[in-house]
Amino acid sequence: MTVEAGTAIPSSSSHAEEPNYLTHETGLKSWLFTLDHKRIGLMYLVSVLLMFFLGGVMALLVRTELLFAGETLMEADTYNKIFTLHGAIMVFLFIIPAIPGAIGNFFLPIMLGAKDVAFPRLNLLSFYIYCAGTVLALVAIVVGSVDTGWTFYTPYSTRADSSVIWMTGAAFVLGFSSILTGVNFISTVHKMRAPGLHWKRLPLFIWGIYATSIVQVLATPVLAITLFLLIMEKTLSVGVFDPALGGDPVLFQHFFWFYSHPAVYIMILPGMAIVNELIATFSHRKIFGYMFVAMSSLGLGLVGFLVWAHHMFTSGMSEYATMVFSALTFLVAIPSGVKIFNWVATLYEGSISFLSPMLYGLSFLVLFTIGGVTGLFLATLATDIHLHDTYFVVAHFHYVMVGGTVFGFVGGLHYWWPKMTGKMYDEKLAKVSWFLVFVGFNVTFLSQFVMGSQGMPRRYYDYLDQFQPLHMASSGGAYILGLGFIIMSFMFVKSLRSGAKAPRNPWASAGYEWMTTTPPHPHNFEETPVMTRGPYDYHLCTEEELWDGFDEDFQPSKKAKA
Amino acid sequence: MTQPQGTVQLPPQLSTIAPEVDAMYYAIYWISVASFVVIVGAMLYFSYKYRRRPGHEAKPAGHATVLEITWTVAPIFLLAWLFHAGFVTYMHGVVAPDNARDVRVRGMQWNWEFEHEGGVIDELNVLKVPVGHPVRLIMSSSDVLHSVFIPAFRVKRDVVPGMYTTLWFEATHLTEERTCERDADCPEAHFCGRADANGVRTCALPLFCAEYCGAPQGIQDSAGRNTNHSTMLAEVRVVSQEAYDRFLEEGPPAPAHCDAAEDPAACWGEGLFSQNGCNACHSVDGSRAPGPTWQGLWGSTRQFADGSSGVADENYIRESILQPQAKIVTGYSGVNMPPYRFSDRQIDAIIAYMRTLSE
Ligand code: HEC
Ligand SMILES: [Cu+2]
Repeated sequence: MTVEAGTAIPSSSSHAEEPNYLTHETGLKSWLFTLDHKRIGLMYLVSVLLMFFLGGVMALLVRTELLFAGETLMEADTYNKIFTLHGAIMVFLFIIPAIPGAIGNFFLPIMLGAKDVAFPRLNLLSFYIYCAGTVLALVAIVVGSVDTGWTFYTPYSTRADSSVIWMTGAAFVLGFSSILTGVNFISTVHKMRAPGLHWKRLPLFIWGIYATSIVQVLATPVLAITLFLLIMEKTLSVGVFDPALGGDPVLFQHFFWFYSHPAVYIMILPGMAIVNELIATFSHRKIFGYMFVAMSSLGLGLVGFLVWAHHMFTSGMSEYATMVFSALTFLVAIPSGVKIFNWVATLYEGSISFLSPMLYGLSFLVLFTIGGVTGLFLATLATDIHLHDTYFVVAHFHYVMVGGTVFGFVGGLHYWWPKMTGKMYDEKLAKVSWFLVFVGFNVTFLSQFVMGSQGMPRRYYDYLDQFQPLHMASSGGAYILGLGFIIMSFMFVKSLRSGAKAPRNPWASAGYEWMTTTPPHPHNFEETPVMTRGPYDYHLCTEEELWDGFDEDFQPSKKAKA
Repeated sequence: MTQPQGTVQLPPQLSTIAPEVDAMYYAIYWISVASFVVIVGAMLYFSYKYRRRPGHEAKPAGHATVLEITWTVAPIFLLAWLFHAGFVTYMHGVVAPDNARDVRVRGMQWNWEFEHEGGVIDELNVLKVPVGHPVRLIMSSSDVLHSVFIPAFRVKRDVVPGMYTTLWFEATHLTEERTCERDADCPEAHFCGRADANGVRTCALPLFCAEYCGAPQGIQDSAGRNTNHSTMLAEVRVVSQEAYDRFLEEGPPAPAHCDAAEDPAACWGEGLFSQNGCNACHSVDGSRAPGPTWQGLWGSTRQFADGSSGVADENYIRESILQPQAKIVTGYSGVNMPPYRFSDRQIDAIIAYMRTLSE
C-alpha cells in the first residue's frame, strides 16, 4: 500500500460484530424514549444541523438582498425579519446547543470512561425542552413577525406587540435546557470519572465543556429575570424599560448583555474545547501547558461575566462605566492568548498530519486569531466609537462565532464522525469542502471588516453606492461558503450510505474515546476502563492502541526499532 | 483647502478628533498584523517542519512554566497601554469645549431634525455646521433608539428616548458645493443628497443612523430615502462660519428657483408642502385624503370636534402645523397629524401657498 505521508487511514480489522449502540435496539420508540446519552447526542445533532441549515438559508437570503443597493429580492420589512431569523436561529437554536448538546452528550461520558451521564432521564428531558423551546421560538418569530434583530432592544421591541415576550420566553425555555444539561455535565464530571482518571488527566474537551456548563448554570437565570420584568411591564404597565412609562431602555441592554455576553463564552468555549482534541490527536502530542489551557477556560468563563457593557460604549451610559468595562474587556485577551500560544507550541516537535479534522483545527487558529485581534479595536474606546454597530463588528463576531465555534464544531464532526456512525467519509471531498468553506468564509467577512471601518452601519437593507463593490465581494464569498457546505453535506450523506466501515481508531489517537469499539458499545465500554495514562500520553500508548490496522510504514516506533 | 484622502480602511479625516482616532486604529492594526504574522507564521512553519512522515515521531510535550508566565504576563503591559491611550482619546471626544455651538437633534423614525441656536430649524435631514468651530449635538428621540454616526468625523452616539445624549466634533474642511446625479459624482466618502425644490442634488457627508430602528410594516417601495433604518440618512454640510451665522439669522433660505417665480413665497411654500410629505394627507384639489383638503381652506370657518369653531387665519394655520392636536377638525379625529417645526418665514411661505388654493 503506497500512501502519502500523513494521510493514511487504517482499514478496519473485521472482528466479529460487537454489539453497538445503534443496532442493539431498533424502532422509533427505542430512539424517542432512549436514555442513552449517545442516542440523545445524535438526536441533538440532527436538530441542530437542521437549524444550521435554516439559519444558513436565511444568511444567503440576506447576502442576496445585499448584492445590489436598493431592492433586490424583498421589501425592507421582510429583510428585517430575515436577518432577525438568521441571528436568532443561529445563536439560540444552533450555536449554543450544538457542541454541548450533540458532541458533548455523545463524548463526555465516553471520555470519562463512564456508562452514561449522571442523570440520564434529565438528559432526555433537556432534549425535549430544547425541542419545545425551538418550536416556541420559531412560532414566535414567524407568527409575531419579529423584526427586532436577535438583540430585541427596547423600546423598539415592545412598541408594537408582545412577540418579544414570547421570544424571550423561548430563549428562557432553551436556557432551561442549557441549565439542565449544564448541571448534568457538572455532576458527571465530578462523580462519574473512571478509576485512574484524576483531574490532571481530564481531556481538555471535558475541561472546556465543564467551564461552559458552569457559565450556563450561572448566566441563564438572568434571562428569567428580564423576562419577568418584561411581562410586568406589558401586563401591569410597571415602567422598567419603556421610557413612555418612565422606564429606562438602556437598562434592557444591561440585562440582555448580562446574559448574552456570557452566552458568547457558552458558544466559544466548546469550540476551543474541540480544537484541543484535534490539535493533540493530529500532532500526536499532549497539549503544551495542559494545566494553563485548562485553567484559561475557567478564566474565560469568569471574565466573561464582567464585560457585558462593552456592547454599550455608545449607549449613553456614564463615562466611568465605559472606562471600567473597557479595562475589564482587555482581560479577555489574556486567557485567549494563552490558549493560542499553547496550541501553536503543541505543534512544535509534534508529528502533524493534515487530515480534514486537523485542517479545521488549524483554520480555527488562523480565524480565531483574526477574531481576537479585531476584538482589540472594539475594546479600545477611541476606535470602538467609530466601529460600533458597523460591519466591522459583524465581521469580528463572525470570525469568533463561525471561524471559532463553527469551525471547531465542523472539525469535531469530521473527527468523531467515524466513531459516531461507524462509517468513514471521503477524505478528498472533505478537503475540497474545507477549502471552499475556508476561502468563502474569509472572502465574506474580510470585505466586511473594510466596509465597516469605512463606515457601513449594520442591519442595513439599503446602502450608499460607495459600498457596492465590497457588498458584492461579501455576497460572492457567501455563495462559495454555501457551496462548501453543500459539498460537505453530500459527503456526509454519501458516507452514511456507502462509507467504508470505520476502524476503532482511524486517527491513531490516544484519546480515551478511541479505545472503545466503533460504533461504541451500548454501555460505552464492555467493562469499566481503568485509566493508567493520560489521554494525550502518546509515548505511553501501546502499539495496538494507536496503530491497530495501520500500514507498518506509519508506525514510527516500528521503523525506529528496525 | 483640498480635501484629505481616505485610506483603504478609513474614510478621510474631516474632524479634529479623526487623526487621533486613526492613530489608535493604525497602532492596533500593526500590533494585530505583527501578532498574526508571528502566530500564523509559527503555526505554518511548525506544521511543515514537523509534518508526519515515515520515521518521524512526536516528542512528548512537557510544559515550561517560565514560558507560560511570560506569555501570560507580557501582553498585560501592551493591553494596559492600549486601554489607557484609547481612554484618553475617547475622553477628548466626550468633553465638549465650552465655546461649542449647540444643535438640538431629534431622531424619529426615519428622519433627523436639527434645531440650531435661536430656534432655527433647518430642512429635515440637513445638518449645517460651521467649519473650524466645535459643535455639540444635544440629542433625543421621540420614538425608539437611534444613533448618530458620521464616519468622516469618527463620532457616534446613541439617541435614546427619555434622555439626552450629547456628542461633539469640530469639522476641519468645508463641504465642496458640487452638484451630482449619483453618489459616484461626489468626492470620496460623500454621497449625493436629496433633490432640493429645484430638483438639484448636491454632494454632502452622510450622517447615518447606526442603531437599528426598523421599517414600516408591509409598505411597498421601501427603497426611497428616509423610509426605514437603512435610509435614515442626513446630509452634513460644513459651511464657513460667516455662512453659518447668516443662516442662523435668516433661517433656511428660499430655494433659488423661486426668485423668478410670480409669487416667490407661494413657490417656496409649494416646495415645502411636497418635500415634507404634507401631500400624503392633504389634497389640494378637493379630493378625499386622510386630512382635510387645502382647496378653499384659507379663510373658511372650521368646525372642531369639541363643538367650537374658528376662522382659518394665520394664527390658526400656524397652530395647526406646530400643534396639530390643539384643535381637531370635525370628522378627522381618527388620524393623528404629527407636529412639524418650521421657521416663521417658512410658515409664511406655506400660508402664501395655501392662499393660492382659495383664490
Ligand atoms: C399623517 C397625515 C398628515 C400629514 C402628513 C399632515 N397632516 Fe395636516 N392634518 C391631518 C389631519 C388628520 C388634520 C385634521 C385634524 C387636525 O386638525 O389635527 C390635519 C389638519 C391640518 C391643518 C388644519 C386644516 C383644517 O382643515 O383646519 C393644517 C393647516 C395642516 N394640517 C397642515 C399640514 C402641513 C403644513 C403638513 C406638512 C408639513 C401636514 N399638515 C401634514 C393629517 C396630516
Ligand atoms: Cu434610526
